[in-house]
Amino acid sequence: MNLRIIFGFLLLTATFSSIAQETPESWPSPVKDSLNGIVLFDRLEVSRNNRDENIAVWDMIAWYGGDTYRLYFKSEGENQQNDGEPTDIERAELLASRLIAPFWEFQVGIGTRGELTSESNMENYAVLSLYGMAPYQFEVDSSLIINEDGDISISMEAEYDYRISQTSYIQPRISVSASLSESERFDRPTGFNAIRVGLRYRMEVSREFAPYVGAYWSRALGNSADKLRSTGDPVHETGIVLGARVWF
Amino acid sequence: MSNQLSKSRRKFVKSAALTFGGATLLRQISPAWATPEGLTRSSQNLTPSFGDSTLSGDTIEMAIGKESKLIAGSAGRPITINGSSPGPLVRLKEGQHVTINVTNNLSESTSIHWHGLILPYTMDGVPGVSFPGIAAGSTFTYEFDIEQNGTYWYHSHSGLQEQLGHLGPMVIEPKDGDIGADREHTIILSDWTFEDPHDVFRHLKVAEGYYNYQQRTVDDTINDIKNQGLVNTIKERAMWSRMRMNPRDILDVTGATYTYLMNGRDPQTNWTALYKSGESIRLRLINGSAMTYFDFQIPELELTVVAVDGQPVKPVTVGEIRIAVAETYDVIVKPKGTKTYTIFAQSMDRSGYARGTLATSVGKETTVPALRPMPELGMAAMGMSGSHEMAEMGSAKTNNNHGSKANHSSSDVMPEMQNKSIPVDEISIKHSPDGHGPGASMIAKNPVSRLDDPGIGFDGVSHKVLVYSDLTGAIQWPDNREPTQTIELHLTGNMERYMWSFDGKKYTEVDKPVHFKYGERVRLILVNDSMMYHPIHLHGMWMELENGNTPSPRKHTISLKPSEKVSLLISADAPGNWAFHCHLLYHMDAGMFRVVNVS
Repeated sequence: MNLRIIFGFLLLTATFSSIAQETPESWPSPVKDSLNGIVLFDRLEVSRNNRDENIAVWDMIAWYGGDTYRLYFKSEGENQQNDGEPTDIERAELLASRLIAPFWEFQVGIGTRGELTSESNMENYAVLSLYGMAPYQFEVDSSLIINEDGDISISMEAEYDYRISQTSYIQPRISVSASLSESERFDRPTGFNAIRVGLRYRMEVSREFAPYVGAYWSRALGNSADKLRSTGDPVHETGIVLGARVWF
Repeated sequence: MSNQLSKSRRKFVKSAALTFGGATLLRQISPAWATPEGLTRSSQNLTPSFGDSTLSGDTIEMAIGKESKLIAGSAGRPITINGSSPGPLVRLKEGQHVTINVTNNLSESTSIHWHGLILPYTMDGVPGVSFPGIAAGSTFTYEFDIEQNGTYWYHSHSGLQEQLGHLGPMVIEPKDGDIGADREHTIILSDWTFEDPHDVFRHLKVAEGYYNYQQRTVDDTINDIKNQGLVNTIKERAMWSRMRMNPRDILDVTGATYTYLMNGRDPQTNWTALYKSGESIRLRLINGSAMTYFDFQIPELELTVVAVDGQPVKPVTVGEIRIAVAETYDVIVKPKGTKTYTIFAQSMDRSGYARGTLATSVGKETTVPALRPMPELGMAAMGMSGSHEMAEMGSAKTNNNHGSKANHSSSDVMPEMQNKSIPVDEISIKHSPDGHGPGASMIAKNPVSRLDDPGIGFDGVSHKVLVYSDLTGAIQWPDNREPTQTIELHLTGNMERYMWSFDGKKYTEVDKPVHFKYGERVRLILVNDSMMYHPIHLHGMWMELENGNTPSPRKHTISLKPSEKVSLLISADAPGNWAFHCHLLYHMDAGMFRVVNVS
């Protein structure tokens, strides 16, 4: 009799604890992973350079995904007004991205660049990027690019937001490009190709919309500069910009 | 309605066209069309969101809906419970058996979790852990015995519904009905936004610092240079920016979008609690907000804390209490004569406040204190106390450092606290070998116990601020066994991407629940490896805070300061699956959540 009670009790406990562990599959997860995305035009601007040329410039990224894996689209380019020349795409890239460290994403993708014409001679390439925030809070996007001909080039962009007030910022910005191998087809000698330094003052109307004014200085470097000099083209350029940082 | 609108527009066009000096007229009639209250006529027909009703008895009916209501003078669409938000006060009695029928009139699933109640896990109301949730159009019946008394609350545990006002107070009277005072008032604090909570969450995810309008600027740097010299300023700024951390990251969502409410009223509406001369009053304080820590005070009135998280503590008299999200405090106040007092709760980041009045008749008000300056995290937040860098930086900025504050607020009053050794001091903690992975942008190098530290934001405060080391249980809890199982969990996050987790892993990244062996006494060690405050809530079982006092206070929600470690004792006496999570709503939703399985 006693044994039966004990046995019954054990059975009951066993049943109870097994019930306690079971969560039916039809139940929703108490917390779900979220997918998010953003389209950010970091630069959407009109610049006027020291040769009185007006140039429209865009520099954007868009991403969609979770915390670890994201899909990126990056695009950058310019169009000089009234020069009869086509739009110049500096990059249009589609990348798969993985978070590899708290502040760094490793990205792999494909891209294209060149002048957008009907008899297009676009440079298609594969790209590896390290994208994120370096110590001292510099936003960095550095890429290693290998084109169809096997030419390798590198580009690096860094910018920093210095807060003047709660809604205004001074933003220095630097971008550098270099080639590890010469590309005759795309007119890129080895060594450093170009550097561009900019400074912008940005004021937020809202977090999503922030107009800015700024200035930049750029010059060709090394063999690229020599090449320009030999044809009598200017090696450096300065300009002022007016634009907005916009995201949605 | 549309008729009315077009009529007024027609009228406007007509009068504007017919009148010279139209500008004057424009100003007069502009409210009808040019202000955000373009729907004034309909807004005027709206009832306020709060209803102030009480539900009690053996059977309670609650209906969840979504209605247009007036909140802080504007039309919002809160989730209502029996037509109001916050919902009605559920007032029960210890020892009773209660049946609560919750009907879901929303178009999505919902739930109610009874925060702090000891009950069977199937009645705990967490979708996916205790039950499937309450489907749209259906009714779920909660049924359980009330085995405790005190101040608690209830809220939705489904998605982000809590942010929409799906919450309410819950009071359980003791068996003898004695409230320990002549009168009582229940005060539930909350944070309301007119934004869709999913938009709020997205802003946090894609644009770090979206709601923070109190960041450091060039002015702060100039002031620092004046106060502590160029070299120290550079050193300190370099340290923060090298770590890629923000010392002004106090609360993620701020007064930039929130209106802080006291019993559903905004500060202008001025909720009033009445008293009669000579009375003692028990205030049941509940922080029902989604994301906001409040610093609560009634200037010129002492607060005698008699219960914490519904559980009695030995009375301790203070001037101010930091109420973490989801905590409750019962305080006794004794107003003098027929004086009028301001009930003031400022958000921890000083971006706003909730306010009410304690007076002998309605319509009275008195001075509302100014918000204190925005606090700034000290080096201790990085878990560097004791390290070389801390020694270096600590001297640079003693003013803003929490350490100086602890001295005056607690150790002056109770010097013996400082020397009391507590178990967690002796326990060495372990970080996972990979530093908790990419989900953790920081690990506390040297986490310490900070139970006698009121935290940041009390600089220049002359009254005593409650600290956890002040709390002593008023009665001996039933289980005095030594722990036989130890579990260590780290609170981790990556603010830049708004990732929040335990041990660097989100809820969706772990395949097993945390296991408490049924019947065992468990010691839970929590280590805050992040720069933020986190209120950690365990469902279904009490956590006895090992603060060196006997009996120790017991809590359902324990707040951890940056780089703090605590130890808690738990009697694993409640079989089933229980939620365990950070009670900052968006941290929980981001993955700072675990299931605890007791079996």
